[in-house]
Amino acid sequence: MSNPGSLPASAHHEHEHTPLCRSCGAPTTSPTPAPWSGTTDSPPPAYRPIRLPAINAPTNTAAIVLSPVPQPLPVPPAAPPHAFLVPAKRITSPDDIARFHASVHGLHFLGFVAALSASVHGRKLSDPLPSPPSPAIAALLDLVSALAALVASTPPLPHSSRYGNPAFRLWHEKLTDSASELISRITATASSPADLAGADVELAPYLLDSFGNATRIDYGTGHETNFAAFLYCLARLGLITEPDYPAVVLRVFTAYLDLMRTLQDTYQLEPAGSHGVWGLDDYHFLPFIFGSAQLIDHKYMKPKSIHNPDILENFSKEYMYLACVAYVKKVKKGPFMEHSPMLDDISGVANWKKVNSGLLKMYKAEVLEKVPIMQHFLFGSLIKWED
Amino acid sequence: MSSPHGGLDDQIERLMQCKPLAEPEVRALCEKAKEILMEESNVQPVKSPVTICGDIHGQFHDLAELFRIGGKCPDTNYLFMGDYVDRGYYSVETVTLLVALKVRYPQRITILRGNHESRQITQVYGFYDECLRKYGNANVWKTFTDLFDYFPLTALVESEIFCLHGGLSPSIETLDNIRNFDRVQEVPHEGPMCDLLWSDPDDRCGWGISPRGAGYTFGQDISEQFNHTNSLRLIARAHQLVMEGFNWAHEQKVVTIFSAPNYCYRCGNMASILEVDDCREHTFIQFEPAPRRGEPDVTRRTPDYFL
Repeated sequence: MSNPGSLPASAHHEHEHTPLCRSCGAPTTSPTPAPWSGTTDSPPPAYRPIRLPAINAPTNTAAIVLSPVPQPLPVPPAAPPHAFLVPAKRITSPDDIARFHASVHGLHFLGFVAALSASVHGRKLSDPLPSPPSPAIAALLDLVSALAALVASTPPLPHSSRYGNPAFRLWHEKLTDSASELISRITATASSPADLAGADVELAPYLLDSFGNATRIDYGTGHETNFAAFLYCLARLGLITEPDYPAVVLRVFTAYLDLMRTLQDTYQLEPAGSHGVWGLDDYHFLPFIFGSAQLIDHKYMKPKSIHNPDILENFSKEYMYLACVAYVKKVKKGPFMEHSPMLDDISGVANWKKVNSGLLKMYKAEVLEKVPIMQHFLFGSLIKWED
Repeated sequence: MSSPHGGLDDQIERLMQCKPLAEPEVRALCEKAKEILMEESNVQPVKSPVTICGDIHGQFHDLAELFRIGGKCPDTNYLFMGDYVDRGYYSVETVTLLVALKVRYPQRITILRGNHESRQITQVYGFYDECLRKYGNANVWKTFTDLFDYFPLTALVESEIFCLHGGLSPSIETLDNIRNFDRVQEVPHEGPMCDLLWSDPDDRCGWGISPRGAGYTFGQDISEQFNHTNSLRLIARAHQLVMEGFNWAHEQKVVTIFSAPNYCYRCGNMASILEVDDCREHTFIQFEPAPRRGEPDVTRRTPDYFL
């Protein structure tokens, strides 16, 4: 049989190590890095993956390229009197997924995530925010601090597996025991707290499912999505308003992310629903969206800047995206393009605006439209299942 | 004169260099594989000596390391217990190589189905994304996931070692129960076929609800009864990450074998394979990730979401 011709890849991607000004990230010099050549000490790669021409790609590509970028939407207020429910799982099939996304609440939940993203365009984590923070933001920060303190009082147990330290179940029990009280501190900040009597019945299950599964001792983008749903419910109740959104992302969400890294490291949470190399990260998606929004219109840092170790070292504290990339590089071994090909490919995108809009599309398609993830999503009166 | 296997030998040689086949070659290969696999039993008999392997998950270079350590196929007989795809970067090259070896040496290699050899699972956990990236469309994904339906579910080595990806099922008492059902379908969400690919052994007795949401957990009393009823000496299975590459359970009547070292590039685990010689002696061979030789030479490609 004849072998069809194919084109071997010939390009090399280069890693920049340009020294940087530590205050603003601008390059201080611009030497041209030498391209890889056969004369260097390292031997050429033992294999050259074949890049086959795409077949029928336009049809599939067009469907994704033309899909709309999720747009910010205001959260519709939930008016009293409230009929709070214990939320339940409703999604079991692709048809259910389609119904959710066609519904008012599906549109508004995604619009809420997009609005949070838009609220931090061009903002550093250290940017000044209203001080003191609004009462609800302060209560949320106290909640995350209280949960972080529970980690300190719940040390990991002796344990031989790679994942799943059973002390996480103890931590989660403490979370369960304190959830209603922690939530009541948030609802107490409402202008009419009496209207929110019983809200903890509906809000607690979202909170309990925001930090991982206590039976499996795992965590993934579905749990992170439940935290976003918890925040969305607070917004529906008027506890969080649009002026609060920058603080929700830059203070509350980053505190949640720090807590999650602590939980992941301390209790060795297993990545739930990991795409492996084909996802962004084994645990998180939202900090890449918010972090790319922060970097939109940055004068010097471009998507390809993630390959510069100095940039990662000096600016991870300010930009969630860079912190996430630094974390991946810390915990994974081997070539970056092999363990993180999506992040590597995204680094070739021209600007952060394109990265941000692409990540929002990807979040909808890869998290919110996947049955194995969304089967655990909860529906009550604030995020209502439309029968 | 060229041998009847000339084209296939050339494909295997290219695959061993981690070069994926062209789409028409994949289609033709899978058609041949289907013809072979449809003749195999749900409980496929296997003769010793044989080397039994666990999850690979797209870690092609570690599969190559496994062949360096365990010996080349067909010089060494192999039994792979599923989960060739998802998570790793090279699922396409990995599963294509194993299928090509199956077509070339059908009596020397047995490839079972894992829970990841499924349409629904591969759309979430990476193989679908990888096919899109490497071929520009989902045709190869469809070709392979259609083929996966034909993979045997379990194997029986010398009538005494029962091999499968996951574990036991409350719906299955005898090997004949397995032989009798129609396996050519997507992995169902529940039922005996699901259980064989999803269940895990447990320290607690009896059947338990699996935290995975599919399959069951089973205790030592269950495996003892199953082994006794079917005159088995050992159940060998994969499905679970174990740090040493293998892990005994149920007083050495159930063993987990995991063959993807440093799983997901982060787990730091060893991998292992189990050699069963023609006197039925067991030897575990542990191995670490394949040494890397330079950065792979791959161009970046903009994912569709970002165009």
